[in-house]
Amino acid sequence: MEKSVERYNYRSNITIDWCPGCGNFGIVSAVTQALTDMKMDPKDVVAVSGIGCSGKTPHYLNIAGAHTLHGRSIPYAVGVKLANPNLNVLVMGGDGDLLSIGAGHLVAEGRRNSGIVVLLYNNAVYGLTKGQAAPTMPLNEKVKSIPRPNILDKINPVALAMTSGYSFVARGFSSEIKQLSMLIERAMKHKGSAIIEILQPCPTYNDVNTLDWFRKRVYKLEDDKTWNPVVNDKSEEEEKFNKGYNLSLKWGDKIPIGIFYENNTVPSFPERLSKIVPDYIKYPPSDQDVSDKDGYTIVDPIKTFIEKEIE
Amino acid sequence: MQETDINLLVGGPQGGGIDSAANMVSMAFSLAGYNIYGIREYHSNIKGRHSYIHFRIMHKRPRSLKYPVDIMVALDPDTLFEHMFDVSSNAKIIYDTSFDKFELKNARMITSDTMESIRNELKSRNLTLDVHGILDYFRSVGAVPIAMPFDKLINDYVPEGPATRYYNTLGAGTTLAILGLDIEHANEGIKYAFRKKPSVVDSNLRVIKAAYDYVDKSEIKPEQLKFYPVIPRILLTGNDAVAIGKLMGGLRFQTYYPITPASDESTLLENHEDIKFLENETKNLKKGGLVVVQCEDELSAVNMANGGALTGARSATATSGPGFSLMAEGISFAGMTEIPLVVTLYQRGGPSTGLPTRNGQSDLLFALNTGHGEFPKMVISSGDMEECVYDAMKSLNYAQKYQMPVIHMIDKTLANTMDLVPEIDVKRVRIEKYRDNNNHENYKRYDLNTDDGVSPYGVFGKDVFWMTGDEHNELGHVTEDTSLRDKMMEKRMRKLITADREIPMEDRAILYGNENADITYITWGSQKSLLLDAIDELKKDGISANLLYLRMFAPFPSEYVGEVLKKSNLIIDVESNMTAQAAKIIRMNTGIEVKSSILKYNGRHMTIDEVIKSTKRIMGKELEMVVLENGS
Ligand SMILES: Cc1ncc(C[n+]2csc(CCOP(=O)(O)OP(=O)(O)O)c2C)c(N)n1
Ligand code: SF4
Ligand SMILES: [Mg+2]
Repeated sequence: MEKSVERYNYRSNITIDWCPGCGNFGIVSAVTQALTDMKMDPKDVVAVSGIGCSGKTPHYLNIAGAHTLHGRSIPYAVGVKLANPNLNVLVMGGDGDLLSIGAGHLVAEGRRNSGIVVLLYNNAVYGLTKGQAAPTMPLNEKVKSIPRPNILDKINPVALAMTSGYSFVARGFSSEIKQLSMLIERAMKHKGSAIIEILQPCPTYNDVNTLDWFRKRVYKLEDDKTWNPVVNDKSEEEEKFNKGYNLSLKWGDKIPIGIFYENNTVPSFPERLSKIVPDYIKYPPSDQDVSDKDGYTIVDPIKTFIEKEIE
Repeated sequence: MQETDINLLVGGPQGGGIDSAANMVSMAFSLAGYNIYGIREYHSNIKGRHSYIHFRIMHKRPRSLKYPVDIMVALDPDTLFEHMFDVSSNAKIIYDTSFDKFELKNARMITSDTMESIRNELKSRNLTLDVHGILDYFRSVGAVPIAMPFDKLINDYVPEGPATRYYNTLGAGTTLAILGLDIEHANEGIKYAFRKKPSVVDSNLRVIKAAYDYVDKSEIKPEQLKFYPVIPRILLTGNDAVAIGKLMGGLRFQTYYPITPASDESTLLENHEDIKFLENETKNLKKGGLVVVQCEDELSAVNMANGGALTGARSATATSGPGFSLMAEGISFAGMTEIPLVVTLYQRGGPSTGLPTRNGQSDLLFALNTGHGEFPKMVISSGDMEECVYDAMKSLNYAQKYQMPVIHMIDKTLANTMDLVPEIDVKRVRIEKYRDNNNHENYKRYDLNTDDGVSPYGVFGKDVFWMTGDEHNELGHVTEDTSLRDKMMEKRMRKLITADREIPMEDRAILYGNENADITYITWGSQKSLLLDAIDELKKDGISANLLYLRMFAPFPSEYVGEVLKKSNLIIDVESNMTAQAAKIIRMNTGIEVKSSILKYNGRHMTIDEVIKSTKRIMGKELEMVVLENGS
């Protein structure tokens, strides 16, 4: 059946309760834009979030949505993806969610490469709990919501993602909606796991990294026509990784946004599983019959576990 | 001729081939038509420390172990000391002549506390603190030490060595020879034990010959053994049985983080992701494989399993105490968002890391209360191999049917019990599916229009819907509306009432034995079969006892348990924990206080004799609570 694009309305009718001026609005626009461009059937895409202001995003989208636990969006997303590899799975997590309480999962997902898309909302604060410092806030920074300058230093999300093994690493900005939707689309089309750090102003608590602060600093990598971060052959891997990694260390007056690295030579976890699990893509765990017409098991326990049998 | 009933203990250093020896012996005997029941005990250490397997070999299927043992194979001198109190008065003890000069103080692998009690016993008998002393001790109690020159024998038959590699085979072979099993069966045992390493079969067969030749030429008079027709059986541990049950029950997505004694289940499944199907009637079905994911931690494992379940895949995880503690938040989430999740909880000795490789039943109240907030969950427990298989299937059914987390409890003793199971009945348990959603246009994930509390289950990939661990409306969006909150709480909890009404009593609590008995035991988990055997033993002494065996703790079969206990005389609660947790649950649900208990928390499995002795002490009003201490 041919589906018309008009049929899909990717925005739900739930009232959005983010603060006026919050960067999250731009993220929702970019996601809807990408889904529209891809003519994505809302049933085929799942939004998985943790807890935070960011965590509310799935409710505002008219696609399947799981608003899960603080820090655990990645395990949920991976569970959905591996049980049904034919779904597109988007993770929407805060910087506290993904880099503090859920940091272990963020790192582990790099080497797993399940094929999920992680959108990391970087507002440098814990929005929902009233502005404490997030792991992305630099040492000595003083935003209005914290009582004294930050005593902890920051994690570099792009560098961490690269060294963790993500095969697609990018940074976007919530007010560069066109570029961000392009990045999301590219990430969704990428076979392995992708991560996009999204710079997101939080006008309520972060009065340092404001909309203007970002506007003045960001520049798009793709504006440089010679920039090509895509690895299609193992021989390019080292050089392109090094370039992307070195670029990820740049922060300050000029902040690069765009794709830092994309490696298409790393097999995704579903691809690895397909080699072990019969008919994995055709009949994934989500789409199997587990009983016969009378309701009994179809598994032959003896044949399956043959080496245990004694005759 | 008396029925054969052999209790055998093989002890040696961990990593010293105890498992192969065990496989060899059990295969050889099963080929001769016997049944085997064994429990493995080991330290939380990979190589070196003492570990052992205790077997019982009978024609009739044994269901518990008997102490003291009739034959002991010591693959290291430590075994002789460690198990000095475990041998019967005419036991045969096979050991290596080279142990001769070994002194107790060099038995570095024996813990200092155990060492102390061995020393005291030897001293009290004026025996030397070395192998000579321990052998004298054995002789003095009537046991028969049999010295064998391990190295020399092996070198004669397998000159290429190294001899140490074959100690286990020599010990096993000698045991089989002494017990009167013919060498052909012993050879078959070898071929089975080393089926994955064909290159070492030949040398091990030569070691078997060495053992048989030696026994032949010695003074030892082998036993007479009857042979029986062999029926197909499958040798299972509790871990295996749950794995098989889960797969039969439709499990297609399992997550785990390694932990003893749970991970053997997951690694077995990992090894069989390529499922083999029954041939009849399955031709046109959608058949695929099983996905097993080793996660970065248990937080990931439980939540990833939840995620898998959201797609409709039957999902589960397996863990033990420390991992289960980490899973609490994910279990609460599954309760709130009505995810069909199965967690197999293998209990070991706690608290904290506790006794990582030892038995315990101390997580019952924790399982019952896991996760913050009030939400429905089911807690079930298995006590023997068959229950492991079929309860694993049922737990997946319950999860699907009632859309809630199901915690399936197994204890370490059961997880590591080896049992020859006659057959697996593929038609014993029917697979029950979740209530399908057929309203894809206006789907409400948490439809309140339901009498039994169960709303149709939509899945990602087929339906667009939302879900959140926050309180939610029928669509799955966040709400704090007071009346909706009440309705949702009540809807979720109503599913437990439904389950309580629907699940047959034999799956929840069973009274074994005569209703009017002098004693009513209460237990759960691996003590089940042990108590059934104890009841038979007590009968011989003119004491009648029955057993109220508990299988489901949530929803708890309060009425039934209350009725049984009201009619009982002396009630004795038997559990492997310190605080009699099941008795607490009984009191909480029925108001009945169970005053007498036999408890064990030293991490070792219970033995029949200590249970019987304690029972008699309780009957004689000497004590109300007895703490069992057996075990090495
Ligand atoms: C286990 C747990 N600990 C703490 C919290 C409280 N909490 C809610 S949101 C949040 C931080 C949110 O910050 P971030 O992830 O950066 O998301 P943002 O609100 O900035 O989008 C915390 C700590 C929680 N919900 N769960
Ligand atoms: S607190 Fe900050 S992040 Fe949260 S909604 Fe308001 S502006 Fe956005
Ligand atoms: Mg944040």
